Amino acid sequence: MRRAALVVVLALAAPGVGACMGDIDPPWQLDHDRIVAVRANPPGIASGQSSAIDALLGSKGKMTSVATPELARVVSPASLSDVLSSNAGRWLVTAPDETRLAAARRELALAAGVPVPLQISVSYAGQSLVATKTVVLGQAADNPPIDGKIAIDGKPPGDAELVVGKLVKVPLSIDVDDAAFDVAWLTSCGTMHDFDLPQAYLKVEVDDPAAGELAVVVRDAHGGVSWQLWSIHAE
Amino acid sequence: MLFRRLIFFTVLSWAGAAGAQEPTPGAPPPAAPEQPSEAITGRVIDAFGKPVAGATVSVEGGTATAVTGRDGKFRISAPLGASLVVEHTGFDPALANVVGTTLDDVVMLKAGTNSETIEVSGEAPAAAPGAAALDRRELQRIPGTGNDVVRALTAMPGVVNFQLPLGYSGVVIRGSSPQDSKVLIDGFEVPVLFHNIGFRALVPAEAIQSLDYIPGGFDVQYGRASSGIVSLETRPGSDQRTTQAEVSLIDGGLLAQGKAGAKTRYMFGLRRSTIDLVLPSLIPASADLSLTTVPSYYDGQLRIDHELSSTWRLFLSTIGTNDVFELFATKDENAKSKRFYNNTRFLRLTLGGQYHEGPWSAKLALSGIAQEFVFEAGLFQRIRVQQPNVTPRAEITRTADSWAGLSHVVWRIGAEASIGRSTVDIALPLERREGQPMPQRDPKDTSTMFNGSFWLPDFAGWTALTADLDPQVRATVGVRADAFGRIGEVDLEPRGELQIKLPASLTARLSAGAYRRPPEFQSETLHTEIGSEHSAQAIVGLQYEPREGTRVQTSAYYTDRSHLIKSNPDGTLNNDGRGTTVGAELLATYRGGPWFGWLSYSYSHSTRVDAPGAPERLFDYDQPHSLNAAVSWRRGRWQLGGRFQLYSGLPYTSPQGAVFDSDRNIYVPVYGQVNTSRAPMHHQLDIRVDYSWKWGPTEMTAFLDVQNVYMNESVAAYFYSYDYTQRDAFKSLPIIPSLGLRGVL
Repeated sequence: MRRAALVVVLALAAPGVGACMGDIDPPWQLDHDRIVAVRANPPGIASGQSSAIDALLGSKGKMTSVATPELARVVSPASLSDVLSSNAGRWLVTAPDETRLAAARRELALAAGVPVPLQISVSYAGQSLVATKTVVLGQAADNPPIDGKIAIDGKPPGDAELVVGKLVKVPLSIDVDDAAFDVAWLTSCGTMHDFDLPQAYLKVEVDDPAAGELAVVVRDAHGGVSWQLWSIHAE
Repeated sequence: MLFRRLIFFTVLSWAGAAGAQEPTPGAPPPAAPEQPSEAITGRVIDAFGKPVAGATVSVEGGTATAVTGRDGKFRISAPLGASLVVEHTGFDPALANVVGTTLDDVVMLKAGTNSETIEVSGEAPAAAPGAAALDRRELQRIPGTGNDVVRALTAMPGVVNFQLPLGYSGVVIRGSSPQDSKVLIDGFEVPVLFHNIGFRALVPAEAIQSLDYIPGGFDVQYGRASSGIVSLETRPGSDQRTTQAEVSLIDGGLLAQGKAGAKTRYMFGLRRSTIDLVLPSLIPASADLSLTTVPSYYDGQLRIDHELSSTWRLFLSTIGTNDVFELFATKDENAKSKRFYNNTRFLRLTLGGQYHEGPWSAKLALSGIAQEFVFEAGLFQRIRVQQPNVTPRAEITRTADSWAGLSHVVWRIGAEASIGRSTVDIALPLERREGQPMPQRDPKDTSTMFNGSFWLPDFAGWTALTADLDPQVRATVGVRADAFGRIGEVDLEPRGELQIKLPASLTARLSAGAYRRPPEFQSETLHTEIGSEHSAQAIVGLQYEPREGTRVQTSAYYTDRSHLIKSNPDGTLNNDGRGTTVGAELLATYRGGPWFGWLSYSYSHSTRVDAPGAPERLFDYDQPHSLNAAVSWRRGRWQLGGRFQLYSGLPYTSPQGAVFDSDRNIYVPVYGQVNTSRAPMHHQLDIRVDYSWKWGPTEMTAFLDVQNVYMNESVAAYFYSYDYTQRDAFKSLPIIPSLGLRGVL
């Protein structure tokens, strides 16, 4: 464990001491071919209910998009491989009846009555981007609400394009509990600081792109995910 | 090795000899034992191994004398058990006990340097082929080692080199794993060898008497290791009292040593890091980092040696260290999810007694350690381990000039108990094990959870017999028994060595043995379903001394490793791993006049199979080539030195891609075959310049130690982007200058 401590320190210190990680994109970079988040809407469903699958995608040199998967399949449990289907260009998960859920619990060695995690795999860009996502079966749940919880530069952001100053610290805030929610601030305009904290800040440096997007993605512990996007430019 | 052995046994002979010289008040001097005289041969050398010609050797209390020849050798008539006094102008007198007709080398030190020069002889544990030793002066003289033990170890053949220290102990021997070798200080294990920052050994070179490096084939007195042993001995005080202070950009410390009364010597050292005073200024203001407790360390050493009587000598040794840091990977010091905290500290206290009378000698010791390791990462992950341990140990040695047709017989028997209690509170991800690439960090992953206490009772016993089979062949056979109480395992480990004197100053050594490492690395103590790791080693070595001060030693070895511990997918462990290491090593040293030269080269190939039928792969620390060449020149006030290193990069496993786990917001890497890629070869040149002068009564030394002079930036490892689509190299630091100043009063 001693070595683990050292590795953590080195990994943390490396970006700080310069050059070491200068040529690779940071995790808050939106200007990158990536799956930012996969959403099941809703993330938890009772028997007979359906959930639609889509994802927020980042693309190098382009704006983000929200798209349904090109391909999707059930990873586990194998006995529920047919609960995922494509219908009119949408991928839907439909929770089966309690008998099948009970069989799935036995397959996964789960206690009776507990919700069944259905793990699915989705892919985009000709399977070059692959992600896994869990949909909870047997218990209804919603994605975490974030409307009204966000402040940018001290104000609720609205839907309009954000305008920020260059070389200015722009505080970003979302009112959620750090221990219960996973927060990610992302941008393709400027440099993000504390991107994985509820309170972050954005600073557009001289060499940074002066226009792009800002996003915040919030995940809860039960598979719920919500995001919000804004166009942004610095002047 | 020889010098180290001599010093070790010095203690016994010094106590005996000193006692013999002191008449009891009111009583006549004790009569010498009635023993027939024998023709005794030996050699006298200086601290650098150079023969001392013209030294007078006399039998204490007798009339026989002899003078050493150009080769330092002498022949004298003396009874077994007698003490020899060796004198030469410019040197402190040295003493030797006659335990056989052929003595090991007697080492003389320059007059006034100290009085630790009590030497002797043949009953020391057999030196292993390929082993090497450095005394304090040599430790301080190898350039590029920054006067530090950890870096000095990297000059040893068989030690895996890396731009950063490896593992707990900072030393990986013969391509195995860090936990397979043990680091001992004054005979007992220490949990760590180096500090968190500065990569400095926790004992400064000034507080070290000698360093023994035994890469394999070690004696039955050593256990709990399947690869090698690094043994440090702290410095006993000398007759001449000194106080010294040293400060550099990394740390600063004080050391005082000397004699207190007629029979007591002391050494006390205390050191504190200084790098923490400058570290914050090295971190750019733009970095999302807050050092709330700047990484810093303290270490301390205390040693007291006391001659209790003519037959008993006692010592007390204490070493301790305290490393701490707390940082936030953000400027926001209220963001607990970005907090990292570590505190590593231990205190080891050892009380020992050494007895010697006639053919009997004994070493008794009681050592205890209080140790604590705390690491906290974010809101969910932590490990707190407290593991006090008490180890009583005893070893008895009986020598005989002849027995059962054998000559120069040394028989040893010893035992120890290691009683520890571990209190663990752990909430961490499944640990990474040998061969597994570094996983993506998930700050909420606490797959390994345990909170409780358990006992760690281990016991060991050993015996060994060493004797001359004929004038050219000396053999050691021994066996060690280990009982690992936590896992309920008992092991027998036979070991042996043949030492054959050949013509033309050649000595051949053949060594073979069985070794065990109990499960005690990382979280292994939480698992009682696993057993110890095994190794069987065979080593052949050749030593050649073509001229005075020049020594060349080579060795080739084969190590078979079995029962290697590996993890199952569910986090449990098993002993399904196997592996082999083959290699060859060369060490050439020269000590003559103002010159000190050191050349070491190692070839090693280390592979393992993780489960029956699984493909063979390289060990994480397989390093085929490692070369170290160092030279130092000293004249007058100046000492100049340079060291060149060339070594292979370590293997690693390349990611082939990654799957995004949207629930945890991390990318799970998909790796190719284990350890099929390798970092590039690294080479660098280090230089050191020392200048000494007198400042009033103080001996001052200023030194400049510069590592990587020509600024070679080779790749140490690769960092990958969050989604593993990009990578960047973590390069060795381009140049590391270190300035320092030492004053000795």
